Amino acid sequence: MKNISPITKEYLENGYSKTCPIIDMHTHFGPFYRHHMPAANINKMIEILKKCGVKRIVSVPHQSFSDAVYGNSIMQEVIDSYPEYFLGYWCINPNYQDIIKRDLSNFDKFRGFVGFKFIPDYHTYPLTGLKYKPVLEFANEHKLLILVHTWGGSSFNSPQMVLEIAKEYPDVRFIMGHSGYGDWELSVSIARDLPNVYLELTAVYVAHDFSMLPGGSGTPVQLLSCLSVNGIIEYMVGIASSKKIVFGTDLPWYSPHFAAGAILFARIGDEQKHDILHRNAEELLENFLKEDK
Amino acid sequence: MKLKIRFIDCNCSFGVPGIPFFRIAKNAAELVEELDFCGIDKCLVHHASMRFDSPIIGNNRVIEEIKEYRSRLLPTWAILPSQTGEQPEAKIFIKKMIKNDIKILWSFPNEHRYNLDENTFGDLLQLLTKRHIPLFVKDNLLSIGKLLASFPKLIVIAVNQGPHNVDRYLFPLIEKYPNLYIETSSYIGADAIENFCAKYGPNKLLFGTGFPNNCSGGSILQLIQANISHSYKEAIAHGNIERLLKEVKL
Repeated sequence: MKNISPITKEYLENGYSKTCPIIDMHTHFGPFYRHHMPAANINKMIEILKKCGVKRIVSVPHQSFSDAVYGNSIMQEVIDSYPEYFLGYWCINPNYQDIIKRDLSNFDKFRGFVGFKFIPDYHTYPLTGLKYKPVLEFANEHKLLILVHTWGGSSFNSPQMVLEIAKEYPDVRFIMGHSGYGDWELSVSIARDLPNVYLELTAVYVAHDFSMLPGGSGTPVQLLSCLSVNGIIEYMVGIASSKKIVFGTDLPWYSPHFAAGAILFARIGDEQKHDILHRNAEELLENFLKEDK
Repeated sequence: MKLKIRFIDCNCSFGVPGIPFFRIAKNAAELVEELDFCGIDKCLVHHASMRFDSPIIGNNRVIEEIKEYRSRLLPTWAILPSQTGEQPEAKIFIKKMIKNDIKILWSFPNEHRYNLDENTFGDLLQLLTKRHIPLFVKDNLLSIGKLLASFPKLIVIAVNQGPHNVDRYLFPLIEKYPNLYIETSSYIGADAIENFCAKYGPNKLLFGTGFPNNCSGGSILQLIQANISHSYKEAIAHGNIERLLKEVKL
């Protein structure tokens, strides 16, 4: 093998790296109605985190997708039970404004939540719609993170929509879940041009052909540019720089080793791998990782 | 560095596709460079033009363009219906395969707009079954289930199954059809390989990267670090496809 990266060698030999751990900025847990996920329970997930050298994950339970009140309460329980592994995003369902109002007024009481998760494709409500406005204003005022599910060509969460709101709320740090999959040129240019927007790699390292999924996908659109992604990490690093990319897996959807392998075999330097696998996340989560230091 | 496991990649290609891409292997030499970078010993290769141009063109190009690399690159062909005259009838097609030492076929029913069924390919599929010739199929498991209902002994390798988990479709088919295999390039769920092996053992999984559509390194690290025995990893990485290739009766 001609890949001579010392970090890659460590992962191949041990499954993890002592010097280059992983922080996963995009995970879930719990069963999900659309798919069987053999690693969806907490104990199995923690076993996988240990094996892969993942030192912290930021999560949203699948249950939040439908019933955010129930799901967010589970997230709080898991953070309280496993604070050494779990941080959380408070999931926002824009279709329930009364709940949002109540949750924002109580947000300072929640423990271990780094910000919010928006999944507009799943809630079929546009990211730029008025119902997200109170949350965006709150996050801007408190300088919080927002992980947004994004997908190229979507009517609900396209990269273009991220561009619009990221300019309007400069103190929110937006993490573009799936990096606006397929609409690569625009997504990467947004991350390059706006200091408060980051690319997140969940699903980016594998081609998406929705014709292979008999029941379709939760994301409604597939661009032809979804069919070939090898080299995308090098492209992102080249345009937006490794400082604007964070690691994610959708765990338990995707194997952390598969995701890490795509980065470890990308034609980029080890310093850039450090940025993507943990350093950028450490900066974004600085206030929440203080105890680790 | 030498990897602990010898890899044969069952799903990779070279050549220039029409779709957008970032980094591909434009020719066989670049594909071999990719294999060397990743530590992959050999691969079953198809030409991008077999999928995105036409098998009429691509089946010839793959033979011509890998001549220098036959020890590393094993050529495959793609099928089309014979009724349109684009490909010869089954017996003649098999003779051409023998002449060119082709032991693996691909089917791209969606891209090439045909039904992979008895009506369209009955004669060919009977011959493939009789001669133990594996057919790599890029289609979803609903279609593959229908195919296997008509040809239950056909050796079918379902490729690119994912990346979303498809076990609810897959496991009933695996339990019913002994010659159904899964290529792993998109079977990337957390614990998916481990869970599959715990239920069915390793013999139905074939290692693939999906290069250049996928990043090769993902499949490599996933299998090397899978929580299964070394012998299971060896079976998936190369043993199963070597067995299938040996059993082909050209």
